[in-house]
Amino acid sequence: MSKRAVDLIFSTTYLLTDLRMLLRETAPTHELDEKQKAEAARLLENLERQVSSLKQEML
Amino acid sequence: MKCGAGIEARQVNELFINVDPIQAGGRLTGDAIKAIIAYGDGYSVCDNCRKPNRLDCISKPPIAEFHKDVAAWLGMDAARMMPGARRAFQAVAHTYVNKGDPVLLTSLSHYTEFLAVEEAGGVACEIPADAGHIVTPEATVAKIDEVKKKFGKAPVLAFIDHVDYQCGNLHDVTGIAKVARENDVPVLCNGAYTVGILPVDGKAMGVDFVVGSGHKSMASPAPSGVLATTAERAKEVFRTTTIEGDVTKRRFGVKEPELMGCTLMGATLVGMMASFPHVKERVKHFDRELENNKIVMEALLSIDGTKILSEYPRKHTLTRVDTTGSFDRIAETHKKKGFFLSSALNDKGIFGLIPGATRVWKFNTYGTTRKQARYLADAFVAVAQENGMKIGA
Repeated sequence: MSKRAVDLIFSTTYLLTDLRMLLRETAPTHELDEKQKAEAARLLENLERQVSSLKQEML
Repeated sequence: MKCGAGIEARQVNELFINVDPIQAGGRLTGDAIKAIIAYGDGYSVCDNCRKPNRLDCISKPPIAEFHKDVAAWLGMDAARMMPGARRAFQAVAHTYVNKGDPVLLTSLSHYTEFLAVEEAGGVACEIPADAGHIVTPEATVAKIDEVKKKFGKAPVLAFIDHVDYQCGNLHDVTGIAKVARENDVPVLCNGAYTVGILPVDGKAMGVDFVVGSGHKSMASPAPSGVLATTAERAKEVFRTTTIEGDVTKRRFGVKEPELMGCTLMGATLVGMMASFPHVKERVKHFDRELENNKIVMEALLSIDGTKILSEYPRKHTLTRVDTTGSFDRIAETHKKKGFFLSSALNDKGIFGLIPGATRVWKFNTYGTTRKQARYLADAFVAVAQENGMKIGA
């Protein structure tokens, strides 16, 4: 297993944490404004890329 | 969803606006959550512990630097992280209080301050708060005089709450410390509800100790807290060990007995450290928090029969209200009795009121966004209206 895989585990978890914080900030309705939607989209796209890299590293 | 056998994953702060009076300021920052993920293992901060082998001297992660920064931020010379404010009370009481010594507390003091005095063998002497639930310098002088007459000496220590837990009122610590100093009484400022919430400067207040709570007010995991002090007092409360084993002749270097060597380790400490830059910044914007509190308070006071028991206008977001004349009247006939209020608020995504409380209760709006504060205000009014209560101007 590579150091890169370990780094990806942490970075994906951190991206999920950023998304979690977005849920906290918008509780209880979770209605995101335009800025928050853009932030969520950026985080999710980054997350998808990192999970894809993780698959390559681990499988 | 489970996060371990029989342990439900807690999602309170993701699903609700949390106004629990003791939880609001301790909600973690994203950076603290990330730090906990990385440093969850037991002795995680000890990988690079080198001589003199003490927690607050570790430079990687930058624990030593953090201790210096916290002390400077509080206007003091030295600081140690503690497993909660109560352990700081204990360390100070154990250092200064002997059996039978009088110690000043107040009629609004937290129970852990009493227990710290009790454990050290001291006698609790309470400064009474006035009719508005405020502890004043004048009342402090009167109590010191009373203690001197009764015990033949001044109190050996005073525990003064900056903001008390009962009403969330702000007390004149500077004025109280001044009169205490004039009588040679060292002062511990209990900043459990202020350190990490609003600016606190121990030197400017003229106190000997500033105590903060990480999990209550510094966006940190529990149990965490801080004890900050002056260079003079640091020599006493942070004194190093002198004990020696009679067989092995072992001695223990620079370990500090009041801290049992090393105190706050691992994820708890690193969580505190990760939140610290955010905490330093947020105290500069406490006015926004008061504005949010005002939005909620005005909505509550618009409900006929509702009274505020805390000082008003508010100087802190922890607030005590009396709804005996409003929500409690509904509870008398509601099928859920007193549980109707917390239940109705839960249904609207609001958490933190004591289930069953409809007479006197507390809430804390700290950390809400403006949108959440407005939602909260509207929710209180909506619950009142849904139950046929009158809304005033």
